[in-house]
Amino acid sequence: MSLARVNWREIVARFGLVMALVALVIVLSTLSDRFLTTSNIINVLRQISINAIIAAGMTVVIIGRGIDLSVGSLLALTGVVGAGLAVGGLPAGFAILAALALGTALGTFNGAFVAYAGIAPFIVTLAGLTIFRGAALAFTDGRPISGLPPLFRTIGYGDFLGLPIPVWIMLGFLILTHVILRYTALGRAVYAIGGNEEAARLSGIPVRRVILFTFAYSGMAAALASMVLTGRLNSAQPSAGVMFELDAIAAVVVGGTSLFGGRGGVFGTLIGALIIGVINNGMNLLNVPSFYQQIVKGGVILGALLIERLVATRRT
Amino acid sequence: MALLDMTGIHKRFGQVSALADVDFDLEAGEVHALVGENGAGKSTLMKVLAGVQRADSGTMTLAGSVVRFGSVNEAQAHGVVMVYQELALVPSLSVAENLFLGKLPKVVGYGALFERARRLLTRVELEVDPGTEVARLSIGEKQLVEIARALAREGRILVLDEPTAALSATESDRLFAIIDKVKQGGVAVVYISHRLEEVFRIADRVTVLRDGERVGTRTVADTSADEIVQLMVGKSVRHHERTPRTTERTLGTFEASGPGLASMSISLRAGEIVGLAGVIGSGRERILPTLFGLGGSARWAGESVRGPREAIRRGIVLVPSDRKTQGLVVELSVEENVSLATLSRLQRFGFMDRKREREQTRRWIDRLALRPPDPRKSVRELSGGNQQKVVIAKALATEPEVLLLDEPTRGVDVGARAELYDVIDDLSQRGLGLVLSSSDSEELLRLSDRILVFRGGRVTAELLPPFAYEEVVAHVTGARQLA
Repeated sequence: MSLARVNWREIVARFGLVMALVALVIVLSTLSDRFLTTSNIINVLRQISINAIIAAGMTVVIIGRGIDLSVGSLLALTGVVGAGLAVGGLPAGFAILAALALGTALGTFNGAFVAYAGIAPFIVTLAGLTIFRGAALAFTDGRPISGLPPLFRTIGYGDFLGLPIPVWIMLGFLILTHVILRYTALGRAVYAIGGNEEAARLSGIPVRRVILFTFAYSGMAAALASMVLTGRLNSAQPSAGVMFELDAIAAVVVGGTSLFGGRGGVFGTLIGALIIGVINNGMNLLNVPSFYQQIVKGGVILGALLIERLVATRRT
Repeated sequence: MALLDMTGIHKRFGQVSALADVDFDLEAGEVHALVGENGAGKSTLMKVLAGVQRADSGTMTLAGSVVRFGSVNEAQAHGVVMVYQELALVPSLSVAENLFLGKLPKVVGYGALFERARRLLTRVELEVDPGTEVARLSIGEKQLVEIARALAREGRILVLDEPTAALSATESDRLFAIIDKVKQGGVAVVYISHRLEEVFRIADRVTVLRDGERVGTRTVADTSADEIVQLMVGKSVRHHERTPRTTERTLGTFEASGPGLASMSISLRAGEIVGLAGVIGSGRERILPTLFGLGGSARWAGESVRGPREAIRRGIVLVPSDRKTQGLVVELSVEENVSLATLSRLQRFGFMDRKREREQTRRWIDRLALRPPDPRKSVRELSGGNQQKVVIAKALATEPEVLLLDEPTRGVDVGARAELYDVIDDLSQRGLGLVLSSSDSEELLRLSDRILVFRGGRVTAELLPPFAYEEVVAHVTGARQLA
């Protein structure tokens, strides 16, 4: 066993993602002179903000060995309800808080079925995916809600200290999630449950309550992302967020969080979201047709996981 | 000529010699029991026979020709079939499909398949429909399906590894009848068991292993349970070595009952180590999880214990029997594992108090002499003994009054084992009450202040020091009941 090889693996395992992102940026900046400009970088950050917020919530669920497929539909439902309340006369701030509360409640609904009824997260949130979508369509009769108060537009298009508000919201939520995962007892419990639920239970950790929390948190994240999207579109669409769950899961797994739970973090998820965002952006700049973009995106996800798998298996 | 002749079998695992120059032979149509304490080498010998492991040296002669099995399939092709304690059936498939698993025709004709299955099931007197899903069978029925499967493969040698561990008395009786029938058909049966009454009931010959060596083979008709126990424990009779630390202060009394457990009470004094002895299936392996609130019903000091959280709050903590699946989160570090049961104590307004956490970890790393003494080390990279220390540290960090130790040295090497014994001794000196459940009689002798022997879901004997090794073994194996 040579020292150099061990170090090399360590480096790939720890910084491989960042290196991949940097390599991607270098390649794209040589291919397009419009890529590495301040305005384009801000543009990328704004584009990924919605996915990154959802993915941060998803990270918490996945570290706890769950999965949340309902986030896209949940985003649509909380969006139309929040917008509906605001249009109906509730002050915009309260409408947004109500939407966030609804998202948390719907996540709790998912979590209750997982934690207390023992139904697989995949199934529970698959049901949530159709239920919440149906509810959003029923609530609006299939029509978008527009004519929103100005606060929504501020959220979608405002700037603060040179950065768009959606980017600030994303950064704030990522930091919040990071703090919860790394610095609180609750976060520790999420890792423990994802790593070995039985050991966590025998250690006296309230496993069900913690699982409930992870889904509630993911629901809140999707609702927050929904407010940003509603602001961007300046309307709430009952059909918004279709397939968002897949983008979020892709960001999480490309970011190195294990689908088997117990490992990972939100920093990786940010990098994962950035890699996906940069690829999308780069291909747009290079005028790659969108059909091919999808193929490339899928290929990148497979490639990232393959590399991670090789590094992980060789380490043990 | 013997059907099987194993001579001079050696097998080492690293530094440890698991089998040393072992001879073993089988006649067609006999039941040959293989007995010995845990770690004596019974399972290893049978794994060599069944092709699971290769011997380092020695020869095997099967029906006159020398054989050397490189795989289970090869052994099965020669008619050697092992029925494992952990049953090797596919629960979601039907009985018939399981019987012919791996030997199914490419196109499965269910009529013919079921007919063949029915004939086989008759041979083991199992009256279930061949289309029944295996998951719906009882453990006893599954075992019979396994035996039928062995017969389907035209097994000449059938190895049964503690087949009655999970069976009821009537299921066991039924199994013995089938073994007898199989034997009449010319099949040789190796019967591994810790229960001497079974050995004397069904075996023709018995071979005793001790510390990887064969210490004797006897014809059952010409031996006695006492002689077998003597062979198992060896000549020197070891007595209790521990200076009792027990004080007069009673900590409380456990009352427990549950499936497979008669209602019982165990009182515990400060500094006392109560040893629990019994074979698998005696109820001994269920008692500690029950006391910790994991199924069945338990009371401590008059109030019921309904789950791990409540148990820990009341000062009772379990070191579970399987550290990989129940004790550790291998993805996490030493420190994160040690803190797991004390998260609520190590937080302030929800945030982990990193300084206190590090202090706590350091304290336990020092006290248990964890190596390497690095709180950030991943537990995956630790040796078995040190992993076990992490589980114990996690338990002790809750500052319990009562420590329940379930097989604390399983899979731990000799050196680390001695260290763990010192730790356990030290804990009793500090006034903890300990309940130690173990399948290792020597461990019980070394550590216990008294030993409760379990048989058939109840405590059948209470042994007090000085303990005699053969007395413990005689009680556990049931030789005492035979005498």
